[in-house]
Formats: sequence, C-alpha cells, structure tokens
Amino acid sequence: MVLRRFTALLFGALVVVGFGARSEAHPVPYKGAWGLMSFNSSDMTEVSLVHSFTSQLAVATTYLKSSDSEFYIPRLNWLAKRWNNEDSQANIYLSGGIGSEVFKNENQTVRMAGLGMDWESRRYYVLFDQMYLHRDNRRNLAIPNESYGYMKFRVGTAPFLAEYDELNVWLILQAERYVGRGSGSGLGGEEVELTQILRFYVRNTLWEIGTRLNGGWVFNYMVHF
Amino acid sequence: MIKTMIKAATFGLVGVLISLPAMAGQEMKVGVKGMVCSFCAQGIEKKFRSQDEVADIQVSLEKKFVMLKFKDGKTLSEAKITQLLKDAGYEANFSAGESAKP
Repeated sequence: MVLRRFTALLFGALVVVGFGARSEAHPVPYKGAWGLMSFNSSDMTEVSLVHSFTSQLAVATTYLKSSDSEFYIPRLNWLAKRWNNEDSQANIYLSGGIGSEVFKNENQTVRMAGLGMDWESRRYYVLFDQMYLHRDNRRNLAIPNESYGYMKFRVGTAPFLAEYDELNVWLILQAERYVGRGSGSGLGGEEVELTQILRFYVRNTLWEIGTRLNGGWVFNYMVHF
Repeated sequence: MIKTMIKAATFGLVGVLISLPAMAGQEMKVGVKGMVCSFCAQGIEKKFRSQDEVADIQVSLEKKFVMLKFKDGKTLSEAKITQLLKDAGYEANFSAGESAKP
C-alpha cells in the first residue's frame, strides 16, 4: 500500500515535474517576473517564455525545432532547492511538462522530464543539465515510440569581476551529449559535442555566442523583465 | 529680554538643524546572501523599487549588499525586507549590513 502510494506519487511528480529542455540559465526567475530565452545552434532553435508565480515555481512554454521535429511544450519549472551562500549560490531545478511533437507531419504527444543543477560564484560557474523526452505513438503506431535523452555540462569563469550595471564577460566550455534518438529526430547522434562560448550580460540581458569544436555555432539570448 | 530671545532662537535653529537629516529619509544597508550575478541584482532592485517606501536602491555585487534609501518618514521592517529578498530568491543578512540611521 505504502509502496503503491509512493510509486503513484513518484509518477505524479514525474508527470508534473517533467521536462527541463535545454534552458539552463535561471529557469525560475524572481516572483512575478517574466523571462524570454532563446537557444540557437546550427542544428536547433529553442524559444521559451517563462513566468514565475513564486520564487520557486514558474510556468513556461517552449518551442523547439530540430531538423525534422518540432516541439510545443507547456511546462512547469520548480526550484527544488537553493543554497544562498556568502559568496556563491547553488540550485537544483526540476522541470517538465506534456506537449506535442510534429514529426513526419504527424502530431504526437510528448512527455518530458528534466533535472538541472548549478553552482555559481562571481568568478566560477558549473552546470549540469539532464533532459529526458518520450514520444507517445498511440495516435500512429507507424511512428517510432522513441525516448531521447540530452545531457549538458558546463564550466565557466569570469576573467574579470564587474558590477551588475557593467558588462560582465564569461568564458564557458560546454559538453553536450544526445542519447538514444540520433537518427529519427535530427537531434544529433550519441557523440559528445564540445562548444566554446563567450557570455556577455548587463543588468537583465544576456547573450552567448559560441563555436563547436567540430563545426557549427551557438547563439543564446535571455532577458528577465 | 533680548538675550533670552537670542538664546531661544539659537536653540530653535540648532533643533531644526539636528532634525534635518531625519527629514531627509533613512538609509539602510542590508547584506544579501547568494547575490552573485546581474540577474540576481536586477530582481532584487525591481522588488524594492516596487515598494512605496523606497526612494532609491543601490546594489553592490562586490560588497554583497543593497543600500536602501527610504522616502521621508518611511521605512521597511526587517521582516518585510526579508520577505522581499525571499521573493527575489535570496536571503537577508542583517549582520553583514549596517543600519545607517540618522
């Protein structure tokens, strides 16, 4: 009975707290805030709009386009734990939702679940993101019922310290790995992709530009208002 | 008689001068734990600027505090400041700041 209740709770949590997409930076802004984020690379585009109800819970909607799939995913982002230290901050985020995927001109249900962890001081920055996506093919059994995972790891450093109304610059190295769904979705193979990124931000606006070591580019943008 | 009047005027003037800073509005410096980036600072600034009592706010990432300047005769309680920082996602550290009361 207890085990059943626990399993139901866990399943419920996974459904509600599903997906983390690739949005890494501040998926839960301050209470009442809106955030617009766009993550773009030579093979993918993602745009997310997020609104925080509290400092721990935000609702978001994400549009993600790869070479042969398009996703529309409403989701919840939950700041499960934050450590506010004297000189640093660490976070654990869970986020997720249920949406749709347009794949081979067919609309499919897609469930997503994700976990994000980061630690940041004014000088250093480490991030880990894990996302899981599952396509439900009950509407069309001819479409493969695939699962797909995405993992990201980042380390960064600020070459100089700046105040918040000055230009902040970060150097970031990013490693990404796509698991289990390389051929069908255009979301990449299982190889690790390394990207060198330059991050700039002033006050509430952030830009990132980068190049992949094996070719390709990334451009990210984020604003809170 | 004239001496008494001059004395009274002098005391009155001194009294007015002493009370001037109080009329200029109170300032309070509050330490903030976890404030390490511009996004943190911007959220905190916006939260405090939305308060009627606050005339101005200065944020220092380097020194990890916010300096609040209140409107004349107004202030925010420590509980309210704590709540505003919590809404922004951070923690007040009153021992790190110093209250600059006139």
